[in-house]
Amino acid sequence: MKIVISGIGIISAAGFNLEQNLEAIKNGKRNGAPVSIFSTILPYPVFEVKSLPEKYAKEGMRTRSLAFAALKEALDDAGLQAPLSGFRTGVCLGTTVASQLNDISFYTEFRKSGSADLKPVDLFLKGNLAESVACSLNASGPSITVVNACSSGTDAIGIALSWLKAGFCDIAIAGGADEINRVPLCGFGSLGILSNSLCAPFDKNRSGLNLGEGAGILIIEREDFYIKRCGKPSLYLSGYGSFADAYHLTAPRPDGTGLESAIRKALSDAKVVPEDICFVNAHGTGTLDNDRVEGSVLSRVFGDKIKFLSTKGYTGHTLGGAGSIEAVYTAAALKEGWIPSNAGFECKDDDIPITPVTANTPINGCFAVSTSLAFGGNNAAIVIERA
Amino acid sequence: MYISGIGIVFTRGRGIDSFEKALKEGWREPSRTGLIPAYRVGPETLTDASLSKKIRRADRFSRMAVLSAVDAYGNSGITVNEREKLGIILATAFGPHTTTFSFLDDILDYGDANVSPTKFSNSVHNAAASYVSAILESRGPTVTLTQFKLAFQNALILAGSWIAEGRCDHVLCGCADELGMVMECACKMKLNIAKDGKINPFAFSDSPVSVPGEGSVFVMLSKEKGSNNYGKVGEISFSQNITRKPDLFVIDTDGMSAYETGYKDIINYDTVIAGYSPVFGSMLTGSAFNFAAAALMLKNQIAYKCIFQDNPFGAKLCVETSAKNLNEIYCIKICRPEIKTIVRLQK
Amino acid sequence: MEESKEKNLVEIRKLLKELLVENLSLEDIRPEDIKDDEILFGEGLGLDSLDAVEIVVLLQRNFGLEVKDMKQGREIFYSVDTLARYIYENKKTT
Repeated sequence: MKIVISGIGIISAAGFNLEQNLEAIKNGKRNGAPVSIFSTILPYPVFEVKSLPEKYAKEGMRTRSLAFAALKEALDDAGLQAPLSGFRTGVCLGTTVASQLNDISFYTEFRKSGSADLKPVDLFLKGNLAESVACSLNASGPSITVVNACSSGTDAIGIALSWLKAGFCDIAIAGGADEINRVPLCGFGSLGILSNSLCAPFDKNRSGLNLGEGAGILIIEREDFYIKRCGKPSLYLSGYGSFADAYHLTAPRPDGTGLESAIRKALSDAKVVPEDICFVNAHGTGTLDNDRVEGSVLSRVFGDKIKFLSTKGYTGHTLGGAGSIEAVYTAAALKEGWIPSNAGFECKDDDIPITPVTANTPINGCFAVSTSLAFGGNNAAIVIERA
Repeated sequence: MYISGIGIVFTRGRGIDSFEKALKEGWREPSRTGLIPAYRVGPETLTDASLSKKIRRADRFSRMAVLSAVDAYGNSGITVNEREKLGIILATAFGPHTTTFSFLDDILDYGDANVSPTKFSNSVHNAAASYVSAILESRGPTVTLTQFKLAFQNALILAGSWIAEGRCDHVLCGCADELGMVMECACKMKLNIAKDGKINPFAFSDSPVSVPGEGSVFVMLSKEKGSNNYGKVGEISFSQNITRKPDLFVIDTDGMSAYETGYKDIINYDTVIAGYSPVFGSMLTGSAFNFAAAALMLKNQIAYKCIFQDNPFGAKLCVETSAKNLNEIYCIKICRPEIKTIVRLQK
Repeated sequence: MEESKEKNLVEIRKLLKELLVENLSLEDIRPEDIKDDEILFGEGLGLDSLDAVEIVVLLQRNFGLEVKDMKQGREIFYSVDTLARYIYENKKTT
């Protein structure tokens, strides 16, 4: 049974919806700048979503607001309207920030007096990403908030695919969201992997990643269910692979075998071979380790002619949202027939055998791969197909 | 899928034997070292000489998860040769929040540019699963999920999907939650804490009392029946009515949900009811502990006695530990009137 | 002069070993078990990349030193002895 992608929605520093995003990346617009939404001494550039749409601005819940903005676009695209009753809807969303009670002013108060106003705790308890989306849609299927760090968005999409195939739901909301928050900014800074300039994925002189924020949402459903509802599908979610490095808390396995297995599994799941893939939307964070490992795995699996890019130069690394924002870009690129230039790349690295695309490039093929690597050694890949 | 192994870390120690002993023994006074009476896990439970190098950086949360996952694997007696077919799912309500707050201490005490990367790395929810995977060298899919409601039930559904698809032959599927200082404070302010330290699982009250707990349970779920088989996980359903009578109901009443009156209906099935929250404490992920108790009962064909204060609705309770013919147990969790989850366990 | 430098280095090395054991949670290792010239990373003490960034924080907090370039870090982080010399030569005098 095939699984249809019936709707996509996105919000990122590059735009409030898909159209704005595509326009911005087509023109090579990069909105990275120092943090403006909270105060910090850290000078690293980040990719913020400027002025959240009023309707979705919810107090103390920036990540949720981003998710709901992308959700609305995806539901509209799929021709769906809440509540989603009369069939079983699953909700699977990835995040990092929304899973933690890291409200600094609340904790400052708690430290001082051993007690504090519990409003932030109440907001946190109401703010579980998948639960709150499921509740707003009246969804009656399984619901999971995936907290697999940077591969959460891709894993969430893969899990929803597994649910649909196993018959646990008819339709699923899959994706991820994250906000720029002081806590992970400090954390990534301490790991020494934030760049002082705009990130340069796969470039010889890359010096780290930029954090970003946003959300990407896919509506996916069983093909028979979709055909009855709408007719002919135009996109499919065809495969998913996820493998662990079993290596280290923060460093990727140097030989990249976890990522390689994930890509190969996604391909076999989709019943395609590497030659069928017309481009790869890589994780490409711009850190030394990630890009070296990923670049060599991509060349090993797909050969040195493969067209690939990272879109992090346009959105920053949106952590739990990254995999899903990139899935949305991948789906849109297949539909539109072009991929954008790998922003930030200038100079080939001798340690990376292949070179990303350096201009907006036409593609004509039916299958594309999007990859994610994470903290903790998770590697995930999905295959998207144009009908 | 079959339950081929169980590992557990809870207030009375580590390992399925400690759990079995606790179920037989009955109620014990909670510890009163913090703000509230609670079932805390002692530091002596969380040390393991054979793993000390590998978990030197791990915090309490990760240690609880690692020890129970490693024990579940060991308890199965299975050696998984194809490591890419061994998956891991860890479900949690609150994750390693003690480390998150400790990282916030760093920000407040030393400033944004002078914080500990090790603390940050451990404060990320999936650090625990990463330790488990590195120690067991599991290469299959590894997912950490966070839910306040039905975390364990959703983890089981995912494990079932992976095994059905052939993605995994075995999945270590578990829950972990810790009780840190901030959480204790929140519990004190938001919950109706049992001052006498006694959870009352069968009162079905609209203002139930709780005694918070902490710990971790992992079950090893396998496609094929293992040598230490506990039983089989049958259908898992949300919002379905009970159409067949099992031999036993195990219910998740522990004072954490305001909707305990919803369990009253279970009485009408004229079937024995059990629930073991007084043994491990009140936790949003407590379903995993009750699931482990149910699996143990199926394996041993013994029903363990329940601990309770009163039984105002005359539920047919399991009042003594005795041999019982158990073919099917339903583990029930009700969050809202319309969401009644049933996990069916079979001999 | 030389004598006071050596005395200073001895003190720094002792403090460093204590800080390493505590901050890197080196279970089963006592500060006095670490040799002055023992290789810290990979072979030897077996530290890894996460320990390296933790040492950066340790230097910042305890000695007011910033290591910005991790390439330079590789030489400094070779052993307790190289670290101590770097600290001695660069620490802000109070």
